Amino acid sequence: MEQTSQLKLKAPSKLEHIIFSKWVVYLLLTPALIVLIGVFFIPMLLMLVQSLTDEQSNFTLANYALFFSEPFYWGVLWQTIKLSTFTVLGALILSYPVAMFMAQSKGKIRAIVTFLVLLPHLVSVVIRNFGWTIILNDRGMINTILLEAGIIDQPLRLMYNELGTVIGLVDSFVAYMILAIATSLYTINPSLYKAGAIMGANKVRNFISITLPLSLPGVYSGIVLVFSLSMSAFVTPTLLGGTSVKVMPALTYQQIMFTLNWPLGAAISFILLGTTIFLVSTFTKVTETKRYKVVFKS
Amino acid sequence: MQYDVELKNIKKQFNKQDVVKGFNLQVKKGEFISFLGPSGCGKTTTLNMLAGFLDPSEGELFIKGKRMNNIPPYKRELGMVFQTYSLFPHMTVFENVAYGLKLRKKPKAEIESRVRKVLELVQLPHLHDRFPNQLSGGQRQRIAIARALVTEPSILLLDEPLSNLDAKLRVELRDELKRLHKQLGVTTIFVTHDQEEALSLSDRIVVMSHGNIEQIGTPNEIYNQPKSEFVHTFIGQTNQFEGNIKSINGSQIQILSKDGVVFNTVVSDSRFQVGESVNLFIRPESIFLGKEHNNSLDTACIQGKIKLVTFLGSITEYHVAIGDHDLVVRTQQPQKEWIEGADVLCCWNIENQLLIRREM
Repeated sequence: MEQTSQLKLKAPSKLEHIIFSKWVVYLLLTPALIVLIGVFFIPMLLMLVQSLTDEQSNFTLANYALFFSEPFYWGVLWQTIKLSTFTVLGALILSYPVAMFMAQSKGKIRAIVTFLVLLPHLVSVVIRNFGWTIILNDRGMINTILLEAGIIDQPLRLMYNELGTVIGLVDSFVAYMILAIATSLYTINPSLYKAGAIMGANKVRNFISITLPLSLPGVYSGIVLVFSLSMSAFVTPTLLGGTSVKVMPALTYQQIMFTLNWPLGAAISFILLGTTIFLVSTFTKVTETKRYKVVFKS
Repeated sequence: MQYDVELKNIKKQFNKQDVVKGFNLQVKKGEFISFLGPSGCGKTTTLNMLAGFLDPSEGELFIKGKRMNNIPPYKRELGMVFQTYSLFPHMTVFENVAYGLKLRKKPKAEIESRVRKVLELVQLPHLHDRFPNQLSGGQRQRIAIARALVTEPSILLLDEPLSNLDAKLRVELRDELKRLHKQLGVTTIFVTHDQEEALSLSDRIVVMSHGNIEQIGTPNEIYNQPKSEFVHTFIGQTNQFEGNIKSINGSQIQILSKDGVVFNTVVSDSRFQVGESVNLFIRPESIFLGKEHNNSLDTACIQGKIKLVTFLGSITEYHVAIGDHDLVVRTQQPQKEWIEGADVLCCWNIENQLLIRREM
């Protein structure tokens, strides 16, 4: 007779019991929690208090009122939103084909492309932005080529304006968009394309009816990521935007470091935070309608 | 005569490996054909060539008399059901089923009535607002069947549609497929590795292994007159004798089995020579037990002793010792005298046996 071996579940040892107990998990979380509370939540709270008090430490909304009564500040907020929106659009257009390519390739090629997408992030954003100035300035690579070729007589203004800022921001954040879209494309069952084809859909039609709608979760999260990052970007608008481009983070910096008006600086940063949260949550509400919820969230 | 599907010497190679090695088949209108074989036998590859997802390396493919080589799937007017359901997750049941009609730019009213009709046909008329992830596996596959049928395709391709379902649903949906085929008469190609599905559904079965067609025949022929060792062993249960040919006398052949038993049988051709090693296959259901040889020319018999009797309800199974070998016999009419230890004669019609040269 053959002896059939039986699968026995080992009872957890005492040590395992201790390691996986709830309290140990909380204990392990504590260092991160202390750091987060100490260097993030408490300073944030202090900033909020500061934005709501005057010199005599009385409660006031004057800083917020000042912001909203001054068209200059309004303009900065609007420019920040505008630049972020263009950055999102630029990143979206550039990243979709790359994500498609990644989804269609396999193994080694996909790994190489993923590496290439992440490669620029190994270099600091400051260095990358200086790189862009070499390419974009009046005597930079692009202008030199176009001038030499006789296509233009005057150098094009490619930086120290909104265009340069958007180029820099897209370069900074496009990787997030690519990876977000690629991840959602990876999850599409390839037999859906077969089903589409057999029902009479050519490749274009399959893309419109299957790929595009099913990649929406990735597109949405890419938009949210790139938009929030662009709203709070400081280095790129400063280096590539020059004096003509003013964004909210730069305004905050200016108020705190130069004007030494900490309460106003604090108020500006909370207005930026509030605007970003409002726009992102509105976007999420609008996009995640009933159908989206049923299909992607359940 | 025009066939609905005709495959002429279809071959397919991947990386210089022959996956399908010369496939020839003619399918008549309304036939239900199964491609049956283990995984890797080329059945799915052949189906994918029919659908247009793969191009044959060689050979010609006709659907309704029209040459289909290099014609993309979306121009072939086929219906297909997949193992993984492959419903569009972001479309409702109605939108899924209506999709093919929308692509054909049918008027809205016609789409609605045809979708409603086909949903009634698969007995799920009330689910049109649901999304696929709100349905059970069985419901999903019914919707997928409805989606494949709504365009009234010339051929229906079924790629292991029952494999992802649990046992009870599988039988239920199998019967459903049979009913639909009877009702609609649509020419159907069904790929499966499950012999029961193939035997119960098909008009004809194509048994495949390693890229070759082993046998094409009705379920009855495939089961009762297997033409190759593979068909014998892959489908159902079988008894196997290894032996050598002791003598040949016309069509009469005497075989000396490995464990020293000698018996006579008859073959219709004279491919064999004395001394050759052969295998003889015979199914348990094809053997009848008796007391004496009826002396008919088309019957072969061998003497044995009943070792074990197992009552299985509608049938009874006997293990009959022949030399050191056990012959399994199944019958629906057991006799009282067939008890353990009794001497019996095991006979079969030579039509049901398979005698082949043994590969050394």
